[in-house]
Amino acid sequence: MSAISAILYREGKIRATNMIFVFWDFFYPLCYLLVFGVSMSAALGAPVSIPGVNYNSFFLAGVLGMASFGIASNSSWSFFMDRDNGIFYEMLTYPMSRAEYLLGKVAFNLFIAVSQALITLGLGAWLLGIRLRLDFLPLLFVTVIVGTAGWFFFYTIFALRIRRNDVFNGVTSVLYFVFLLASSMFYPIDPLPRGLRTVALCNPITWEVDVLRYATIGYGHAPKLALEAAAFTVFAAICFAIAVRGLHKE
Amino acid sequence: MSTYALEVENLVKVYRGRRSLFGPRSEPVRAVDGLSFQVPRGAIFGLLGPNGAGKTTLLKILATLRAPTSGQARIGGIDVVAQPLGVRRHICMVLQETAVELFLSVRDNFLTFAKFHGLDRQVAAKRAAEAIALFDLGAEAERKVQDLSGGYKRRVQVAKVFMVHTPVLFLDEFSTGMDPILKRAVMDSLRKEAARGRTIVLTTQILSEAEELCDDILILDKGRQIARGDLNALKLLTQSVSEIVITFDELPQGIAPAIAALQPWQSKIAGSTVELVLKTEEAQALEAVSALAKMGRVLRVEIGGASLEDIFVELTKKN
Repeated sequence: MSAISAILYREGKIRATNMIFVFWDFFYPLCYLLVFGVSMSAALGAPVSIPGVNYNSFFLAGVLGMASFGIASNSSWSFFMDRDNGIFYEMLTYPMSRAEYLLGKVAFNLFIAVSQALITLGLGAWLLGIRLRLDFLPLLFVTVIVGTAGWFFFYTIFALRIRRNDVFNGVTSVLYFVFLLASSMFYPIDPLPRGLRTVALCNPITWEVDVLRYATIGYGHAPKLALEAAAFTVFAAICFAIAVRGLHKE
Repeated sequence: MSTYALEVENLVKVYRGRRSLFGPRSEPVRAVDGLSFQVPRGAIFGLLGPNGAGKTTLLKILATLRAPTSGQARIGGIDVVAQPLGVRRHICMVLQETAVELFLSVRDNFLTFAKFHGLDRQVAAKRAAEAIALFDLGAEAERKVQDLSGGYKRRVQVAKVFMVHTPVLFLDEFSTGMDPILKRAVMDSLRKEAARGRTIVLTTQILSEAEELCDDILILDKGRQIARGDLNALKLLTQSVSEIVITFDELPQGIAPAIAALQPWQSKIAGSTVELVLKTEEAQALEAVSALAKMGRVLRVEIGGASLEDIFVELTKKN
């Protein structure tokens, strides 16, 4: 436990030394919602295939999914930087297990993710008049936690395997493009062309965002969502196993 | 409890060959090839060898960063493979890379390190202040490490290990980027740590450093032990090497061919000073000095035995 608290202390110290980090960590999804969400809502109105749901309400789940993906991506970048300057290897000689190291990192990400979600939900709902399903809040926070952990383990695999900074940046850019755009994050996937819809249906972000959408505004079909939730949990577990294996090889 | 700080038995580490995109896998590399040795508690133990000798791989295995392919290694009687966490509680390591927390201040680097090693807040603050004083980092204490020069970053990295009292300390090329005054201060501190019973294992390319610090030296090449012992024991392996320095008031005519005739191992003429290393018995070395001295007016003569550098070069060449 002391090792995990040491990781939390370290990550917290690093974040606290830079006010931009702090602001961005907590307010990034809200800013996205207030700028992109409000603009899209004003320009295009409600998504055509979901009657009665305005774009801000629709996009709230998307922005939470994007945040969990973004936290993991940023965290993997810091992982990569740590390895690049050697502190990562030094830390692996500190009195803690590899699992404690990963758990400490993921615990800090979860703290940020849950804080972001609370701020985004609270201020977003208040400022934009989004009607939240408060009875689904526990499901929402479980999804935020599992989602953030899953993406953290997913990105850790790449951060551990890729040795070169330019390759790492290239890979993360491609991942961002594919995962975020071929998904239900920004738009409903039903009206999409068949090929793109197929990719989006196989995309773990779609699984996560669909559950988040159900948990925020109650939109979705329960049996499909249960399948998506199970698929995402399996995806996260597989990523965790591969990440731990990769860490043991380091 | 084991009487040794470090025990290594038939240790082997083979790195699998890398597979290129379209070509076959390259040959596997035996970075550590059947090493066995023990290090008593409180010793300063030097691991020497040319680049690629396996020093860093060996340290990484001992520090639980790499798993051996076969063989055993124990720190304070604890097996590095079976109980890595137990080993990590006994060790502290300075890596070859400048491993620091770039986004944190110097002081926060120390406090974070202390937190990982379980020191309470007051002790951590006290030891951080001591490390800052010892490494003359007072003026930089509140600056972010990413804004410091390479030499200062190295100070921060090395200073951390003096904050904790782990029984074994690994230093991989610790003096890289340090100025001579700081290096001397660190070497003095390392001697004090060893005198308190801490075992120090270091790798270095700077042989004078090992010569000055180490009680016990292991010379490695291609993953294998090629010599082991204290400096005197190692000197016995190359008794026939003599270093000669003669300073004339004026460089004598014909000295260059006279030196060449002696077939020196190494030679150098700088101004009116002649330096040569002869691989010969002491009596013959004295005869050579006498012959050269007759060629001009001699101001100074020095004759020394083999330095660690001579031993190192000879043994690694032989291997």
